[in-house]
Parts: sequence; structure tokens; C-alpha cells
Amino acid sequence: MANEKKLFRETRTYPVVFMIIITIIFIGILATFYQLSFAKVQKYRETQLKKMVMSVFELPTQNIEIDFAKYITIFETEDLMYYESRTDSILLGYCFPISGSGLWGTIHALLAVTPDFKKVMNIEIVDQNETPGLGGRITENWFKNQFKGKTLINNNVLNNFVLIPENETAKDNEINQITGATASSKALVDMIYQDIEKYNLKLRANL
Amino acid sequence: MKKKDIFTTSAFTQNSVWRQILGICSALAVTNLMLNSLVMGLGVIFTLALSGFTISLIREYIPKRIRMMVQILIIASYVIIVDLFLKAYYPEISKSLGPYVGLIITNCIIMGRAEAFAGKNVPIDSMIDGIGAGVGYTLVLLLIAFVRELFGFGSLFGIPILGDWWTKWSIMVMAPSAFFMLAVLIWIINTPRQRRG
Repeated sequence: MANEKKLFRETRTYPVVFMIIITIIFIGILATFYQLSFAKVQKYRETQLKKMVMSVFELPTQNIEIDFAKYITIFETEDLMYYESRTDSILLGYCFPISGSGLWGTIHALLAVTPDFKKVMNIEIVDQNETPGLGGRITENWFKNQFKGKTLINNNVLNNFVLIPENETAKDNEINQITGATASSKALVDMIYQDIEKYNLKLRANL
Repeated sequence: MKKKDIFTTSAFTQNSVWRQILGICSALAVTNLMLNSLVMGLGVIFTLALSGFTISLIREYIPKRIRMMVQILIIASYVIIVDLFLKAYYPEISKSLGPYVGLIITNCIIMGRAEAFAGKNVPIDSMIDGIGAGVGYTLVLLLIAFVRELFGFGSLFGIPILGDWWTKWSIMVMAPSAFFMLAVLIWIINTPRQRRG
């Protein structure tokens, strides 16, 4: 018996069989872990996104599920998707998911605009992989808050923001860029211009 | 060898980073914040301990020719478990560590310990050796991160230490400073040893 077993372990098939068995065992363990954590990961992502949509409209985020359902309507057509926010049937504004390539990866953001498209309400970064401490500072409040109340569309012309050094005073069409992270600052300004133009054209045709 | 000796050997005397110069890739990448370094260290300790234990447990059955494939499979499985755990329970940390958790798989320390220790010793000893190597690695990460976060952000574990008067050193946040710090650390630790003989 012992002799036979030893023989099998010396054959060429043994490593193959061994590898198949061990792969099945470990994939099984991983699949179980994945299944257990999947719902939680998904739930977290959804809640984070909802919180961000609420925050760009400056709405409360304490009871996120209830409040989101109360204030926000999601519109989805074939090629565009956006959020609309109303309180007591008064239209507060629109929120658009925008994206563009940053220095290291794609930046995803949310941009809220007033109902007439003329002013920026707020901007929020959903996802970014910029250099921590440099480009990563696009998530800092001082940078995001600069966009608040800026003119977006003036006389039917979409405003393309101009970047100026960090410590200078910015005019209505200017944004203070992050020192040492010009590429990341530029990426954000560019994606606002490109994506809002896209939404602007399509929505104007639809509304 | 006594259990305590196994630990001190792999954590200090034969420290993977400053003696064997292994695992420096991730040591350079995640050390600009103390918290990230700590989480990374814990992930590596977990993976080292359990992969060492598992590999040692089945070491008699692993065919010699494909042992590396088997080791990588086992290591990768534990790393993915760490990654899933962080994604589900500590999403913020998972986000800031980015791809580096997944890259623990390719951390040479783990493969190194599997080859050098777990393949030849009993499971409990392999686990202690893994924890030791992991603690040694975490120690290096925390030392580098201490300097980098303090000078780069003026804080430790995200708590502001140096006031507003402190001019943050951008270089400490970026990769080059990690090279300098690691080199200085290795130099300081190894010089007295070489003097002695």
C-alpha cells in the first residue's frame, strides 16, 4: 500500500493532480470570502455616492436613504445620466457625473449646476488616484470650494476656467491651481469644460 | 531552535529589509503616512504567518518542481482575503493604499520566507518565523513613515504635531525621499555591525 502511494507521487501526473486539487480548494475559500464581503462593499459604494450627490446640493446626509429618495430623482437616458434635486417641488439644480484622465488615472467627479445652467453649485471628487499630498489635494475643500458660485455659462458660451498660481486672488473665470500639481488641476478644469458641454448640448435639445 | 530565537532572528538579526534588502518596493511606496504603513505591515504579518503555516503544513506533499506555483497560489489567496477584508470594513484605508495591498503577493519577503523557512520546518515554527519577519518589515515601514509624515505633512497618524509655521516638505511626500530614508536607515543600522567585523 505504502509502496503504491509512493509510486504515484513519483509519476508525472502527481504534480498536475496536486495543483488542480489545491487550486480548487483555494479558489473555493476565496469565492466564499468574496461572496461574504460583496454586498457590504457594494452597499458602501452606493451610500458614498448618494452622500456625495446630497452634499453637492448642500442637502442633509444624516438619514441618507430617506433623504435621498425624498430630494433626488435620477434621470437616465441612452447616453446620459444625471441627478435632479427638488425641495417642495422647487427645482434646486442638476448634478452631473463627470470624468477625465488625471495624472495617474481617471478622475471621477460630480458637478452640480443651477437650474438655468449659469452657475456652478458645487463640485465633489468621487474617485481619484492622484499623487497623495500633491494632486491628491483636489479633494481638499479649499480647492473644491473655489468652483462654488462661479459663472459656468455666460451669454450662451461655456466658461473655460483659467488656472492661476495658488496664492493669487482669482477672478470669476479663474481657479487657483495646486502648486506642484498643475496636471491634476488642469485635468479637473478640462473635464468640467468637456463634459458639461456634452450635457449642455444634449439637455438643451431634450428639455 | 527555541521559539523566541526564531522570532528574534527573523525580525532583527536577519531582518528582511535591512539585512536581506527584500520587500523594499512596498517599503518605498506606502511610507508617506504612518497609518497606511501600519495597515500594510499588519497585512504582511497576516499573510506571512498564515502562508508560512499553510506551506509548512503541506510541505511533505508539495511536488518539488512546482513548489513555487503552489507557494504563490497560497500567498495570493491570503493577500486577496486581506484586500477583501479592507474593502469591506475599512474602505477609506483600502482606497488610500490603492493597488499596494494586492502587490503584497509579489513582496519578496513572503516568497523568501516560504522558500527559506516554511518549506523545511514545522507549521508552528514557520508561523512564528513569518510573524517575526513581518514585525521586522513593519518596524522599518513605521520608522521611515515617521520621518516622512512628520516632515511632509507635519503630522503623525493624521494628528497635527507641528503647527502652521511648519513649511511642509513636498519631497518627503513623494517617492524620492523614501529612497533617501531607506538608504540612511540601512546605513545607520549596518555600519556598527561592519565595524565590529
